[in-house]
Amino acid sequence: MTTDIHDYLAEFEDIPGTRVYTTKRARQGYWLNQFAMSLMKAENRKRWLADEEAYIADWPVTSEQKEALLARDYNRMLDLGGNIYYLAKIFSTDGKSFVEAVSTMTGMSVDEYKAMMQAGGRSPDGVRSIREGR
Amino acid sequence: MARLTAGIATSHIPLLGVAIDQGKTEEDYFKPIFAGYEWTKDWIARPENRPDVVILVYNDHASAFDMNLIPTFAIGCADSFQPADEGWGPRPVPVVENDADFAWHIAQSCILDEFDMTIINKMDVDHGLTVPLSVMFGQPEAWPVKVVPVAVNVVTYPVPSGNRCWKLGEAIARAVARYPEDLNVQIWGTGGMSHQLQGPRAGLINREWDTRFLDDLTADPERLRHIEHIEYLRETGSEGIEMVMWLIMRGALQGRVRELHRHYHVPGSNTAVGHIVLENDQ
Repeated sequence: MTTDIHDYLAEFEDIPGTRVYTTKRARQGYWLNQFAMSLMKAENRKRWLADEEAYIADWPVTSEQKEALLARDYNRMLDLGGNIYYLAKIFSTDGKSFVEAVSTMTGMSVDEYKAMMQAGGRSPDGVRSIREGR
Repeated sequence: MARLTAGIATSHIPLLGVAIDQGKTEEDYFKPIFAGYEWTKDWIARPENRPDVVILVYNDHASAFDMNLIPTFAIGCADSFQPADEGWGPRPVPVVENDADFAWHIAQSCILDEFDMTIINKMDVDHGLTVPLSVMFGQPEAWPVKVVPVAVNVVTYPVPSGNRCWKLGEAIARAVARYPEDLNVQIWGTGGMSHQLQGPRAGLINREWDTRFLDDLTADPERLRHIEHIEYLRETGSEGIEMVMWLIMRGALQGRVRELHRHYHVPGSNTAVGHIVLENDQ
């Protein structure tokens, strides 16, 4: 039995607080993600940190993507096609860990987020489905 | 004849690599995480269990593959692979040595078996591949095993189904059985367990679901084959999908399987640390 791609993709929109990295997002975020990849080279990290505006000017990202990037607004970058494994190059260059960067997307402070993880993490109860409210 | 003797699964959380590289494994935060690997470290160090080659199933996290190249199933066929610079410099770990003859054999055999593998020569390997080696072998001068990297796309959707992963495992097992050299081969599935690294729902952990997944690797693997992507996403967080890679490992083991060891701990960074050792029950 084959899965209908439209049904398959539609279900992804029903998960609270989650952007599944679909091909649509991959196309939208292509340059933002490719820019982030460039930070895997030490010399590029140095240039980026020295002058972010000048560095990003060489990349054809949209003005919204640029704004979100300079503000380190990770939720917005996700909305604009960013993928977390690519965006990880940006926060790693900032000297931030996954926990520090990820917590900024949750509305919690780093300490609150760490405490939640230490206590067993976020429960899936209530955040499985928007439609079904479970 | 090459023999597939055991399957191991483990999370590949980057922070565990950092802890090993920086000598922090005895700290309170990390102690219970690494304690769960002690059994396996002892077990795998015994000559009768030590594999000659590990087929290591992992995913690349935007390191070797960027948006220009998204292979669903790729196999590393070069003689060696360097640790990747993921944004903070490469991990100080040994170069990963392949058994390239064996890797090419697997690639050819799988393609004839209708799995159209992407063949990769030049490829740096990231924490997805090197953290499992570190948790099993610590900090040696050189890795004590050869490694055949098998990289799976679990980042850009649609990713392969659990059932497809299982069948790839079966095809890999057939390839191993057809290899004339006398090799002790293990297959490792890495990633998982429940975790979400993005958005307001980040930090999701589902101990109950993970425990049932661990149980059913022996009790009811047929159920695991047919778990849909949407269930992984809803129940285990957006990155829990990495567990489909465990099914490549499980599919490669034949018939009845015995659990030798299990470890589960929350948290490791944003993630539920999961680890299991399985062998064929013959």
